[in-house]
Amino acid sequence: MIQLQSIHKTFHPETLNEVRALRGIDLQIRRGEFVTIIGTNGSGKSTLLNVLAGTVRPDSGKIVIGGKDVTRQQEHQRARTIARVFQNPFLGTAPDMTIAENLLIASLRGKRRHLRIGLSSARKNRFREQISRLEMQLEDRLDHLIGTLSGGQRQAVSLLMAVLNKPDVLLLDEHTAALDPKSAAQVLALTRSFIESENLTAFMVTHSMSQALDLGDRTLMMHKGEMIDDISAEEKKRLTVDDLLDKFADLRKAEKLTDEMLEQLRREYR
Amino acid sequence: MELWLGAINLGFLYAFMAMGVFITFRIHDFPDITVDGSFVTGAAMTAVGIVSGVNPWLALSLSFLAAAAAGAATALIHTRFAVNGLLAGILVMTALYSINLHIMGRSNIPLLSEPGLIAWAKNLNPGLPSEIWLCLLFGAAIAVFWFLIALFFRTDFGISMRATGNNPAMAAASGIPVNAMKIFGVALANGLVGVSGSLVTQYQGFADIGMGVGSIVFGLAAVIIGETLLPAKSIWIQALSVIAGSIVFRLMVALALYVGLNPIDLKLMTALFVLLILIAPKWIARRRQTSAALSGLSLTPSGYKKARLVGALIVCALAAATAVVFFRPAFFAGKPTIRVGIVQLSDHAVLNMTRNGFLEEMADRGYQNGENVIFYIEDAGGDMATVNSILDKFLQKKVDLIVTISTGCTQAAINKIKETPIVFATVANPFIIGAGQSDTDHLPNVTGVYGAIPMDRMMELTGALLPGKIKIGCIWDPAQVNAVFNVRQLQAQIKKHPDIRFVGATVTGSAEVQQAAQALVHKGIDAFVLVTDNIVFSALDSIIKVADIAKIPVILSDIERLSDGALAACGYDYRQSGVQAAHLADRILKGENPADIPFERYKKLTIAVNPDVAARLGIALSAKLLAQATLAGGHPQKDGPSKRLAVFVFSDNYALELSTQGILDELRRSGVLKKHRITVDVKNAQNDYATAQAIIQDIVRQQYDYIITASSLALQVTANGNKTIPHIFGTVTDPYRMGVAKTARDHLPNLTGVATFQPVESAVSAMRALFPKAKRVGLIWNPAEANSEACTLKAREAAKKFNFELVEKTVGRTDEVKDALAALLNSGIDLFFTSGDNTVILASATLAQILMEHNIPYFTNDPADIERGAFFSVGADYHSVGVETAKMAIRVIHGESPKDIPIREYVPETIGVSVKLADRYGVKIPDAYLAKAAVIRR
Repeated sequence: MIQLQSIHKTFHPETLNEVRALRGIDLQIRRGEFVTIIGTNGSGKSTLLNVLAGTVRPDSGKIVIGGKDVTRQQEHQRARTIARVFQNPFLGTAPDMTIAENLLIASLRGKRRHLRIGLSSARKNRFREQISRLEMQLEDRLDHLIGTLSGGQRQAVSLLMAVLNKPDVLLLDEHTAALDPKSAAQVLALTRSFIESENLTAFMVTHSMSQALDLGDRTLMMHKGEMIDDISAEEKKRLTVDDLLDKFADLRKAEKLTDEMLEQLRREYR
Repeated sequence: MELWLGAINLGFLYAFMAMGVFITFRIHDFPDITVDGSFVTGAAMTAVGIVSGVNPWLALSLSFLAAAAAGAATALIHTRFAVNGLLAGILVMTALYSINLHIMGRSNIPLLSEPGLIAWAKNLNPGLPSEIWLCLLFGAAIAVFWFLIALFFRTDFGISMRATGNNPAMAAASGIPVNAMKIFGVALANGLVGVSGSLVTQYQGFADIGMGVGSIVFGLAAVIIGETLLPAKSIWIQALSVIAGSIVFRLMVALALYVGLNPIDLKLMTALFVLLILIAPKWIARRRQTSAALSGLSLTPSGYKKARLVGALIVCALAAATAVVFFRPAFFAGKPTIRVGIVQLSDHAVLNMTRNGFLEEMADRGYQNGENVIFYIEDAGGDMATVNSILDKFLQKKVDLIVTISTGCTQAAINKIKETPIVFATVANPFIIGAGQSDTDHLPNVTGVYGAIPMDRMMELTGALLPGKIKIGCIWDPAQVNAVFNVRQLQAQIKKHPDIRFVGATVTGSAEVQQAAQALVHKGIDAFVLVTDNIVFSALDSIIKVADIAKIPVILSDIERLSDGALAACGYDYRQSGVQAAHLADRILKGENPADIPFERYKKLTIAVNPDVAARLGIALSAKLLAQATLAGGHPQKDGPSKRLAVFVFSDNYALELSTQGILDELRRSGVLKKHRITVDVKNAQNDYATAQAIIQDIVRQQYDYIITASSLALQVTANGNKTIPHIFGTVTDPYRMGVAKTARDHLPNLTGVATFQPVESAVSAMRALFPKAKRVGLIWNPAEANSEACTLKAREAAKKFNFELVEKTVGRTDEVKDALAALLNSGIDLFFTSGDNTVILASATLAQILMEHNIPYFTNDPADIERGAFFSVGADYHSVGVETAKMAIRVIHGESPKDIPIREYVPETIGVSVKLADRYGVKIPDAYLAKAAVIRR
């Protein structure tokens, strides 16, 4: 379904702020696979998601989605096949528009936008039905502004919007990280149920080791712009959170050494 | 009524623009300044289209498309090249200036007699008053527009567009091409602005390159006012609020004009008002938030809503308060905010009359003591020191205006008070006390009513009191110019009365007065007839004493002194003096500057007799005389209806000031104002098109009897907005280009006037006469100025005629002039010429300096330039132009119809020359020029 071939991305190249966010990522994901990604801060998880979505264009490499090379496509063009939910619950919805209007925009993802009255009663009825899946009693609040909802509710609506027109790929960027524990659990449960019921190909970045192990068929570990581990579903069943933490701890130790050595070698041989 | 309807109509027409600004500013969160330029683009397309015979609807569509293209350009620059949105707007707006000039081909296109949508709409009128009909029609059109645009915002496309502005990240993630959407939105917005420009142009009857300035501020103001008045989430209400905001804003402007606010302050007020509305809700919300945080609660959405509501309420209250402060409180009865101090020298009958006349007239004009105005009425009891302490009290009470009744009070007041406006009344001669040099040239904070006595009435009174052959004696000081003038007048009148003989005695000081009086008594005079003479009147007591002993009556020209023991006095109606003073006070309280209000002469004469003295002297007072005499009872009959004349000027500039002055001077000099009881109001649009529009609507609403306009744009606005009131124009370079006339005789029926072409040819001819060998003449001009363009066309012709090569450089702003000159100097010129170009004039001192260093003679069309270093000028004397305009107005006032008066071409040439520069260039100025020169710099 998704193929990434040696993706490189460097921000602010040749300046003091140079960040090599992605250093040659190669990845293959099958249709219907639910992948979780964990990694240290600045490991390139979010950049990877942005590259997939088209928000960030890679310096080199190739992106193929559903057999089609989309490397040069813009974000809104890729939106036909990709839907995403942002970490910030305020980013996924238009606050000064109503719930129904937001759902309408989501329902038009990948379709042409005509000069047709947007909120016909048929559409509204459909949205009312859809939003009942959230079980948040939002059915009668379709005409309320999204801005009046709580963060958890907004994120749940964002999620619903993302899956409204069944996307080929669903990108979730730590979408529960900014929520309180109760809302986070709620949204996570919804995420799981949507992905399972629609059999979606999903990509979920998370900070939580337990989430990473709990959810999905496959877990990727990233560090410094590289994919350092690829854990299969069977393996995940055996692993605990502590095992994962140990993996990172090992990495740090090893890396510290290599970094220092590298630095030294560089100095000596220049 | 017309003023308000006119304001609403303008509000409708500008609502399209407000909607455009709403789309960029609110929907796309994009502060788009292109609007200032695209408004003119819309106007230009329509004007050019209509003039070349295109169907007005097609012209309107072209306006929409052209303006939309401009908007698209801005958005494209912004999205494609990541240029800051504000900067992109400024770039396109600047470029549009040139493009608009290219579209129009010149800076101003008149549409007066052209068929447009407004003319078409007027033709459909079933017989309603024009503005009412337009109001209904515009209202219907706007209702349809409102329905359609709100509907648009509710379509799939419109909702996506709103999402793009509200949350671009989400929009992009949902597959909306954010940049394309932004380009479309800004283009649509500017297209609507273009529609506004098109309609306004058809409504006001012309397109002008400068008409877009400040559009963005107006648009923002309308959007923000609308939001404050109708805060709502529904797009229906949001769209409606924009339209309402546009109308409310125009009504505010109309209200400001209605209550007489100085248009200079209009822009400042707009800016302050918008600022207030912008910050107040936020400030309130923040306060709420802080207090909520203190009590450990977070601000709930409903709490925020409440804060907004309270904010809106407070803003409305503040707006009302500003209105109360800024606008005349007379409008809002019950709040005494105006304070007026009235001081009179003594409790004297005539002074009381003046005071009462003043107070009654003020009451008639809506100034109710204790309600909307406080009058501090003070009497100094004849003591000058008390006058001063009364004035101190006024200052401490911060009065808005001081009214001084009698000469003494006035003198004290004008010496002491330099800021607060002073209106004097019942003053014989304000010039003697230093209030000014002439009616118009006076202390800036002082104006008032005064008068010298007509001697014919004086002699009539004398004859009535002392029938038969008599000999009268008069005393005066020949050093007093005023007194000598009065005596000459008196002698001239006496010649018409064969029964009366005149015996005079002159004095050189008040000490000699008594002796002079005795000498006259010795010569056997039958009465003293004393004309106003300060020296003599200061020793009036001694004359009265001499007269008493000799049992000879004293007849005075000063009613104030009657009670000193004179028999009779012939002077002005002092009640009327108070009434006139009230008119002046009213004008000042409504915002006029006293410096701009000329002194007025008394309009009404009064005869007064002292019955006690008459009885003592055994003089019988005839019933006729008693009927006329004020103090013996009975007021003079009421005045007939007065007329009003508006002098309408588009902006403040030197030529317009001169010509306005000429108009006023001639109107006053001719006496036509007094004769026909005409009051004159000068109105200045401060270079703002919408203000000009509102002023002419106000003039029409108030049904002025005559309009005089100075400047081309005032002519154009008036010709379009007024079809009935007789209108005389002046200070117009080319009325034919303005579309008001085809030939001198074939012009709009209610107007005529004076055309003053710049004497370009004369200037060029002088160049040839002075510099027979010169070949190349440099010229700098601004194509955006209609007058400058006309002059340049003439210069081209004249250059051809006198065998010069004209080297032209164009500029758009004053700071480009220097570069243009450098380019000219580089290309090699022998002479330099500028003509009637306001952009270049501002740099004339710099130009002159550089040209002198390069030894290039500088010719202009304005003799005032000689003072700034120019070498030779042949110009029009704009004061004379004003006088000529006024003369034509006087013909109309005397009853001629403007229709029958041909437009007059009048160019009073005046020459300025710098002899010093002539020496430097080795040129001998022919005597013929020197003789004609008004300005010679040595």
